[in-house]
Amino acid sequence: MKQRIDVFDQINSNKRKSVALAFFVGVILFSLIIIISFFFNEYSYIIISMGVILVLIYIYAGYKQGYKVVLSATGAKLADERKYLHLHNVVDGLSIAAGIPKPKVYVIPSEDINAFASGTDPSKSVVAITTGALKKLDRDEIEGVMAHEIAHIRNYDIRFSMLVAVLVGLVAIISNMMIRMWWFGGNRSRDKSGVEVVLLIVAIILAILSPIITRIVQLAISRKREYLADAGSAQLTRNPDSLADALEKISKHNKNRLKVSEAVSHIFFFDPKKSALDSLFATHPPAEKRIDILRRM
Amino acid sequence: MIEWIIFGVIVGAIFLFVLGLLYYYNKIVIMGNRIDNALSQIDVQLKKRTDLVPNLVETVKGYAKHEKKIFSNVTKARENMLKAGNLQGRVDASNQLTSALRSVFAIAENYPKLQASENFKLLQEQLEGIENKIAYSRQYYNDSILTYNNSVTTIPGRWFSAIMGRRAKEFIKIAASERAPVNVKFE
Repeated sequence: MKQRIDVFDQINSNKRKSVALAFFVGVILFSLIIIISFFFNEYSYIIISMGVILVLIYIYAGYKQGYKVVLSATGAKLADERKYLHLHNVVDGLSIAAGIPKPKVYVIPSEDINAFASGTDPSKSVVAITTGALKKLDRDEIEGVMAHEIAHIRNYDIRFSMLVAVLVGLVAIISNMMIRMWWFGGNRSRDKSGVEVVLLIVAIILAILSPIITRIVQLAISRKREYLADAGSAQLTRNPDSLADALEKISKHNKNRLKVSEAVSHIFFFDPKKSALDSLFATHPPAEKRIDILRRM
Repeated sequence: MIEWIIFGVIVGAIFLFVLGLLYYYNKIVIMGNRIDNALSQIDVQLKKRTDLVPNLVETVKGYAKHEKKIFSNVTKARENMLKAGNLQGRVDASNQLTSALRSVFAIAENYPKLQASENFKLLQEQLEGIENKIAYSRQYYNDSILTYNNSVTTIPGRWFSAIMGRRAKEFIKIAASERAPVNVKFE
């Protein structure tokens, strides 16, 4: 028999790991900035700080508005209090269990089984579930799925992934600029000593690799937060099997019918894109692994 | 030179201490408030349920007049609930009310017309929802106490809470059972 997992231990370990990963991204960003100050003149700072501001605005707007885009693109509607009384009751109860205000509840007209949560602040958050999920999952399973979404909100996952996206975006834009400046500029660097040449090569390699590495780390963080929300769901419902059952049903049922773009697929409960099979570049962990961990809680 | 280093270390230590004290003071106060809030949340849900009871009794009476004993049980449990002076009393009375309500839903199975009525279905759903919310608020209460106790019994929280004179709290015995929903069949 496999070792049992304590829910609270699982929650703590997932939190620690994702923070450590985010820290790693920060370290890479910091070293890029050090390299810049080493190789370039003050003039380049102006361009870089402009780039930084653009990234900040872009990502902030993306997260603030992103869920609205998803809601309207999927045709989601506010769930009627009376028609979806049970859903409201479930969300209400889970919010009490998580100690957060009740989020707005949306229903997405789709035969797929899926759900998502959004909002950078628990007091202004949103949860949505597909009509397919309401039809095909039983009450316990719906509760398990919604608990996963509520756990995302309670864990400030949306804000956390926003922060990580900012860091990763900065790494990408800074290394991109460095490469361009080496390509077009670099008139300073005619008469270099041997050490400087080696340093320059290391710096170029770092500039090329760091966007890829940080992107992989970002996805690893995303997967850790999914495990964290799964454990959170188990902690809220005290019934990890209900979520595991739901995941089993979903992985049998869903055939990628919910049309969403790659850019927003990560916010769903179950990644609607096929790329979830590719483990290094997946936003979500494989369903079998999630089920296995849940069954051992 | 050496004096300055000693001075710096002392100042640094005091600074860290004050910082830790502030951090833990706020943390402990916030967690204490959270526990109080959780208790009042339980109370809110218990009251909501008590308010729904007369409604349910009226609806069921319309279809099942003869089940007098069950109605009087429910009414009595509700009165005990309203009379209870403190939360502990209300929690005890609520357990009584829970079982009385279960018997109402059990007899409802003998009255197909009652079960088919929209009003009854709605009440059933509402009561089941509240039942779950009561269980959830109890769970949140217990979880909040667990986090509180964890942080005042582990180091360094232990030292700071000792300075503040706070210790681990006893769980008020509010059994987190009764997640078993009211005996309801939906299909």
